[in-house]
Amino acid sequence: MGMLDLMRLMSIQRQRDQERRRRQAQAPPRDGLIALRDKRKGSPCQQDSDSQGAADIEIPSLPEDIWRLIHSLMPMRDAARAACVSHSFLSSWRCHPNLNFSSEALGLSKNAYGNEELAGLFYSKVNHILKRHSGIGVKKLTIKVYSDYSGKGSSYLNNWLQIAVKPGIEELIIALTQFQAKYNFPCSLLSNGSGDSIQYLHLSNCSFHPTVTLSGLRSLTRLYLCRVRITENELGCLLSHSLALEQLEIRYCNRIVCLKVPCLLQRLISLKVFGCDKLKLIENEAPNVSIFAFQGDKTELKLGETLQIKSLCMVRSGYVYHARAELPSIMPNLESLALQSCKETAFAPKLCSKFLCLRHLSIALIGFFPAYDYLSLASYVYAAPSLETFDLDRNVQNVSIFAHPADLRSIREEQHHNLKSVTVTSFISVKSLVELTCHILESTTSLECLTLDASQTGFRCTTPGSKIGKCPPLDTDVLMEGHRGVLAIRRYIQPRVPSTVKLTVLEPCSCHSTEL
Amino acid sequence: MAAAAAEATIDGGGKMIILISADGKRFEVTEAVASQSQLISNMIEDDCTENGVRLPNVDGDILTMVVDYCNMHAGDAAADGDTTKASSTEELKKFDAELVQALENPVLFKLILAANFLNIKSLLDMTCQRVADMMSGKTPEQMRETFSIENDFTPEEEAAIRQENAWAFDD
Repeated sequence: MGMLDLMRLMSIQRQRDQERRRRQAQAPPRDGLIALRDKRKGSPCQQDSDSQGAADIEIPSLPEDIWRLIHSLMPMRDAARAACVSHSFLSSWRCHPNLNFSSEALGLSKNAYGNEELAGLFYSKVNHILKRHSGIGVKKLTIKVYSDYSGKGSSYLNNWLQIAVKPGIEELIIALTQFQAKYNFPCSLLSNGSGDSIQYLHLSNCSFHPTVTLSGLRSLTRLYLCRVRITENELGCLLSHSLALEQLEIRYCNRIVCLKVPCLLQRLISLKVFGCDKLKLIENEAPNVSIFAFQGDKTELKLGETLQIKSLCMVRSGYVYHARAELPSIMPNLESLALQSCKETAFAPKLCSKFLCLRHLSIALIGFFPAYDYLSLASYVYAAPSLETFDLDRNVQNVSIFAHPADLRSIREEQHHNLKSVTVTSFISVKSLVELTCHILESTTSLECLTLDASQTGFRCTTPGSKIGKCPPLDTDVLMEGHRGVLAIRRYIQPRVPSTVKLTVLEPCSCHSTEL
Repeated sequence: MAAAAAEATIDGGGKMIILISADGKRFEVTEAVASQSQLISNMIEDDCTENGVRLPNVDGDILTMVVDYCNMHAGDAAADGDTTKASSTEELKKFDAELVQALENPVLFKLILAANFLNIKSLLDMTCQRVADMMSGKTPEQMRETFSIENDFTPEEEAAIRQENAWAFDD
């Protein structure tokens, strides 16, 4: 048999020695191995279940194209080190298909160098690598320039793109971080055949002026533009010729006044538009959009066919009221709804309409208004009989329950039988929030986890994997709010938590104790 | 599933086919499970699986793993309407991680060769990713040693390429 012959051809004794040394050096994960073998009692696998037998199995050699595949899956620095292993790896490195040029990937620490020095090192390293790359077979090219972008950078970037962007390229990510960077993405690059193969184009902080001569990107499935100077006509032209598009995301592109998504885009399922200040109208005619996300207060939204929308994310003032009032009839098939509002002039209304399919709800109230009634949000919970998770984040000033410790209100509703997880972030002692929490506790039979985060910060030094040594400082007022929140939880909520519910309370971090 | 079946049978609506390993072990699987292998899928199309599919390159112990993997992932390829039968994503991830992490290098390599021969892209990608992960963070010497790769550079050649890629060595 071919493989056995091959194995015999190898210098068996040398390999055995290597194998033993390797075994001593890195103990194999025995638990997993044994567990796996136990599962297979009676299977042919049993024959090598004694470790002595396994030690004698030689490593079969892999064909070169498989080693190339493995090499292509390694991060840049590891792949570059692997190039020093053998001739075969070196030639694979010369046409490494996955080029990732960012400070991290190249091992340049932002702390070790000044901005200018970092930029110089970055340009010279990328140059150094690309000069020796054959330019053949690049499938993914990522260029992230974090440092200041200078005019000199333009010619560097153009050179790099000339070398690496060839027909066959699948992903191109150019992320320049300086705002209003003057780089003009060379569209001609994509008219040499690369435009036929590219599937994901990600541009940030540059100009992008696709013209009619760029006759569409026929394989493009994902387009992401962030702070890109592009006009609505240019974008419209690109969209109407990119018929494979499935995901479109546009952020902070301030030249677009009117975004028309043509009905030609039959495959488009995800449309996300954030923070485009000049945008007056979004008119979607693509018939199969099921994920829509939007941030902005003034834009008029004509979403076309909305029955198939399953996931909606809206960052928009007044939308917590509006969504409860309007969406059950407009988007009856919603499964996931995320809302963020910084201004609500009315509480969520109590209505009979239902979100029958809604499983995940997240509401964030970020801003200032003095007397929001959180208990009104119970109307969402009871409009959604299939709801499984409910996350509430708040950041508005309210009156503490301790100021008016009158009886808690309660509302009579049907019991909820699906809601499993509820999280409230930035928990404080505001009365209606305590009421809402108690209400959910008392009327939900299915609840498993209740997480109340009174720490008042998104960054905690105690979070696993956190790299910050100390939490960012908090205003004394905010910190006091957090402590009052914990008191309110202990006094009003904890006694109502049944034994079937796991209550997690996050208190303000102890590293703030000196700030009080 | 390792049970040998004498004949292909109709079971639960799916046609069964028999896979025979190099050492003669027989595995009965549904067509849907087996078609995750592009090689077998082509054979099914060409109608030549009647007397069982002989896989002279794949040992029984390796084929057991491949069949386990395909059984587990059969839901992936199924029509997206039927979510009850498909294993949950987390379950699959856990299964995949356990499958490759427990393997000794020689077995892992044999599994790679089997995935390559049978043309099961997801299994090939996963097993190759495992090797790539194992190589990460190692020096060239450690890479050679771990995977028994011969150093065919002359000392001069090696010095030159290490010099060229010096940026990948400093911390």
